[in-house]
Amino acid sequence: MKFLFDFLDKNIAPLFEKGGKFERLYPLYEAGDTFARTPADVTPSAPHVRDSIDQKRLMVFVVYALLPCLFFGIWNAGHLFNISNHVEGASFMTDIIRGSAMVLPIVLVSYLVGGIWEVLFAIVRRHEINEGFLVTGMLFPLVLPPTLPLWQVAVGISFGIIIGKEIFGGVGYNILNPALTARAFLFFAYPAQISGDKVWVGTAHTAFDSGFFGKVAENIDGVTAATPLAVAAAAEKGTDAIHALGEAGYTLWNMTVGTIPGCIGSTSVIAIMLGMVFLLITGIASWRVMLSGVIGMAATGYLFNALPLESAYSQLPFYYHLVMGGFAFGIVFMATDPVSCAATNAGKWIYGFMIGALTVLIRIANPAYPEGTMLAILFMNVMAPLVDHFVVQSHIKKRTAYARALNNA
Amino acid sequence: MADFKIKKGFDIKVLGKPKPEIEEYASQQLFTVYPSEFDGLKSRLKVAEGDRVKRGDILFVNKKNEKMVFRSPCGGTVTAINLGPRRVPVHVQIEQSAQEESVTFGTYTKDSVKSLSREQLVDHLLNTGMWPLIKQRPFSKIADPAAAPKAVFVNAAKSAPFQADFSLILKGDENAFETGLNALAKLTEGKVHLCKSAKSAIPEFGCATSHIFSGPHPAGNTSVHINRISPIRPADTVYTIAAQDVILIGKLLLTGELPRTKVIALGGPAVKEECRKHYRVRLGSNLKPLFEKTLEVGKELRIVSGNILCGDIVKADSGVRFYGSEFFVLEEDRSRHLMGWTMPGLFQYSSHRVNLSSLMGLTHEWKLGTSLHGSHRAMVVTGWMDRYQPLNIMTDYLIRAALAHDTGEMVQLGILETDPEDFALAAFVDPHKTDVCKIIKQGLQEIEEEGL
Repeated sequence: MKFLFDFLDKNIAPLFEKGGKFERLYPLYEAGDTFARTPADVTPSAPHVRDSIDQKRLMVFVVYALLPCLFFGIWNAGHLFNISNHVEGASFMTDIIRGSAMVLPIVLVSYLVGGIWEVLFAIVRRHEINEGFLVTGMLFPLVLPPTLPLWQVAVGISFGIIIGKEIFGGVGYNILNPALTARAFLFFAYPAQISGDKVWVGTAHTAFDSGFFGKVAENIDGVTAATPLAVAAAAEKGTDAIHALGEAGYTLWNMTVGTIPGCIGSTSVIAIMLGMVFLLITGIASWRVMLSGVIGMAATGYLFNALPLESAYSQLPFYYHLVMGGFAFGIVFMATDPVSCAATNAGKWIYGFMIGALTVLIRIANPAYPEGTMLAILFMNVMAPLVDHFVVQSHIKKRTAYARALNNA
Repeated sequence: MADFKIKKGFDIKVLGKPKPEIEEYASQQLFTVYPSEFDGLKSRLKVAEGDRVKRGDILFVNKKNEKMVFRSPCGGTVTAINLGPRRVPVHVQIEQSAQEESVTFGTYTKDSVKSLSREQLVDHLLNTGMWPLIKQRPFSKIADPAAAPKAVFVNAAKSAPFQADFSLILKGDENAFETGLNALAKLTEGKVHLCKSAKSAIPEFGCATSHIFSGPHPAGNTSVHINRISPIRPADTVYTIAAQDVILIGKLLLTGELPRTKVIALGGPAVKEECRKHYRVRLGSNLKPLFEKTLEVGKELRIVSGNILCGDIVKADSGVRFYGSEFFVLEEDRSRHLMGWTMPGLFQYSSHRVNLSSLMGLTHEWKLGTSLHGSHRAMVVTGWMDRYQPLNIMTDYLIRAALAHDTGEMVQLGILETDPEDFALAAFVDPHKTDVCKIIKQGLQEIEEEGL
């Protein structure tokens, strides 16, 4: 190992450093080099010692937190495909293999295309490659249906990285969550594939129709069913939305476990909670946002329950909202993005609460879009600086009052 | 008298605490004075190379206020004057002669100091070159003699790793300390606040109000003391001084001569274990022989004058500084670790739960080096910068305002209450390796230049 690194330092590094042949590609070399081992930089000035944490570790740990969702998503995609296509001899292993064949290309395209943009901007702007794209590149596929065409994945992540992030200056400067921006773009540009009211059940990928994965008995193409959100929204006046959900095959239990069709990573609340626990133990994500999000959802849910509305949807208990659609995933992984979320602690409470509240409001009161989480988070991303502004103003007032009180005492 | 318990804070567990014992360090022939040590001072030299000076002769003066003089710590010959860019004096070197002559000034007693007028005292301190020991807030610069400070804060509670043990230094010099306090009391219409640490035993002194600060660092930072006792409003001025320096002022007043010695603490992981202690040294004397004797050899070392959180990097032939009573020595750590982004983080010190080592941080003392442990990234607001900030400051917003050169916003957010040292822990925990202290320092400079 040492021999290899010595070789790199002596022979390869000079090519990329100032005056070297590939000087412009330095960000690429630097990324690879510091990926293999921590940089040799020392503190330029006081404080002379620094904590051993850095952004690489931070971002990679968020990716780790997403892994339970990814693994569950892979199994779930394969499992649902095999069931709906009545594949003979389907087992856990064939579910995984089939799921991998459906999901991994999406993840790969997301990372590849997103990575190319990231590197391109780093080279043109002459700054180091930011690890933020590791998270974006994983978040984005997890909020896509596994049947999405790969070209749409590429277009979506390109939009997210460029418009959602790089035109503002890169990670740390963006207003919106890039992964969610990418999804919102697909949502409005290609509603046929990712609308939120209809969901894929299974499409036969002809390439995999050989006996190797289990024989496809009935080749159905592009079968869709209604999502829980659409079912609940369509429940007739005076009926019970829980009953309607049950009839469509959605129970509180299977929506929590996640064995229902939906976006790759966001169906299983249990997998999401595994990630959440990891994020909270390591202290990376803000518990304030998560908690206030759930409180906001519960409060608004109860409010609708109490209102004398006829719609069956408005009578649905809030914990159904919690497990339906993308809320759990959104509040744990998307809303807590430190760049686009509110920066102040008080601001985080307001920001999270409003996301929970708006999600329920959009779901119940808005007839156009069945899913409200994405729009709620993006809306609050935009509003976060305003929320922070008021928090900072009140902070300034309190500071002045404190100084006045102590000095007069 | 009040008791303040500071909850927010963090003690960096670093190896090499100096033992509470004082060794007499044999005086050296070579002395150095650093005009560059005084931030923002424009100095005019009064000596040239080859001049003979007495102990206490004027070496240079403040161009803006020629009454503010800086005097020689030893008698001998000026051997070298080092000029920096634009011919700004960086250091003046003096070689001690065998027969050292001293300039003498008026002598006072503990009680006769009280009968001096403020003006007489200020003139005396300016004229003897001891005035610059007194600093002021806002801006942490040499105190403006013309200001009317609302209080004087004496810091005997410093908490950054490591500090000279003040109760040890005070032993035998109580009279000088009290004389110094009496003098400080003449400088303000308000009170003299003596801020002590709960860990040290320092007696009460009649002319000062005692306060006890306990809790993790930065419980000992002057800004915290001021914030808890008498917060600075935009038009306020307070004087601040380190407790050790009060003894120096007291000695000057009692003896009528410039004080000869002070006690410094030498610590840090790269100092040999048996040498981590306090040394009584001549003011300004060259420390090269001391460093040669006490530091580990064969490694690239960094010598910091001051503490590990906010000291300055100095060379191995540095002299004792005018400010500060500590030297901290640690290794320049350029080691690279395999895949640091995913290793459990057991062997790299951290305050974050993302590293397992944060669990060991409670008991283990770490052999810290100067590694940055990462590369610089754009700031992302994590809230971690405020985690150890007991001042009511929104660090992230203050940094943004400073970077945006928005002086109005900086003042509103409370920058005048602070000193760059208050952001050392924020810089320590920041995963984006933002140079917080430097940014705040520049922000303060900007406000000072532009005026409030």
